[in-house]
Amino acid sequence: MNASPTSALAKVLGVATVLARWTLGAFFVYMGARKALAPVAFLELLREYDLVHNWFALNAIASALPWFEIFCGFLLLAGIAVRGTALLVAAMLAFFTCVVLRRALALETVLAVPFCAVKFDCGCGGGPEFICAKLRENALLLGLAFWLLVGRGRCVLYQWPRRPEPV
Amino acid sequence: MIDDPAPRNQGRFGNLLREALVVAVIGAMAAFLANQLSPRGLKLSRNYFPGGTAPLTAQPARAQNGTNSPLAARLQANGLRLAARARAEQLFQDPRRQHNLVLFVDARDEDDYQQGHIPGAYEFSPYHPEKYLAEVLPLCQFAEQIVVYCTGGDCEASETAALYLKDAGIPADKIWVYGGGITEWTNASFSVERGVRNSGEIQPPPG
Repeated sequence: MNASPTSALAKVLGVATVLARWTLGAFFVYMGARKALAPVAFLELLREYDLVHNWFALNAIASALPWFEIFCGFLLLAGIAVRGTALLVAAMLAFFTCVVLRRALALETVLAVPFCAVKFDCGCGGGPEFICAKLRENALLLGLAFWLLVGRGRCVLYQWPRRPEPV
Repeated sequence: MIDDPAPRNQGRFGNLLREALVVAVIGAMAAFLANQLSPRGLKLSRNYFPGGTAPLTAQPARAQNGTNSPLAARLQANGLRLAARARAEQLFQDPRRQHNLVLFVDARDEDDYQQGHIPGAYEFSPYHPEKYLAEVLPLCQFAEQIVVYCTGGDCEASETAALYLKDAGIPADKIWVYGGGITEWTNASFSVERGVRNSGEIQPPPG
């Protein structure tokens, strides 16, 4: 018996969804771990954004954010509270993208170089990166987060389509 | 009868927000706990930037040496002095260094120190002073001249370490901050020591 085109599409979407969730989860675990292993360096980079002027608040953000990212990454990998986690991840990514863009624009002016030639360590966990590559990466991750957010991230592991119920 | 989807959508959105809130609260608690348990974790009650939380990029570029740099001005405001390369070299060659009367202090983290430091320099990361203070503080009290350095360029660990030592009671007039740091030192082809202090693994200058 041939599978209908609809079920084939559902199967492809199911695989793509699980891969998206694993990719996003693994990325957050990896980037969070890199920051958690060098928290002072992350603290120094965080300060460069000039968003928080109170040292205690700066400490609190720098100490919790890497581990929070790891926590969200593990939830996504395990398929627990996927939509809620995806919402948080999307919110974090959107905020990070805005502040990274703001800093890149400031550096573009100071360094007097083309926008895409601006390269700096944004504290994202990946070391110094060109801004255009970073923005592309964030856009992709935001896309994955939204994909999970619209309700396609629930299955814990990929499951083959169930057998049809006997009539 | 046609079912109105608006209340159902509102309910789903409410559930989504509740789920996100639960994840955020549990995640934040887990994150602070993990930081507390991590041996590399930050101490929430410690001010890691005694010189202020203003970003370095908001200040003019930090000069590698010379006395007119913003770094020199900041140090001077705290009663400390900036050492140019010539001064650092002179103090390194000083025979008093053999008797710990001239002391070199490396303010970078442990990994960087192991990869190469000024020969004989003591390790003192100002971000983890509890690990080094018991050894370094008595030596600093005994020494006549102390040279603190880090990577150079934008690194500020040397300034933070110098301020820390000053606050710990070391007279400011014997503390020098070598602004060029290990980067300038290696670029000038001076020898560096790898591994622990006095490991004997001296990397001689090229040529």
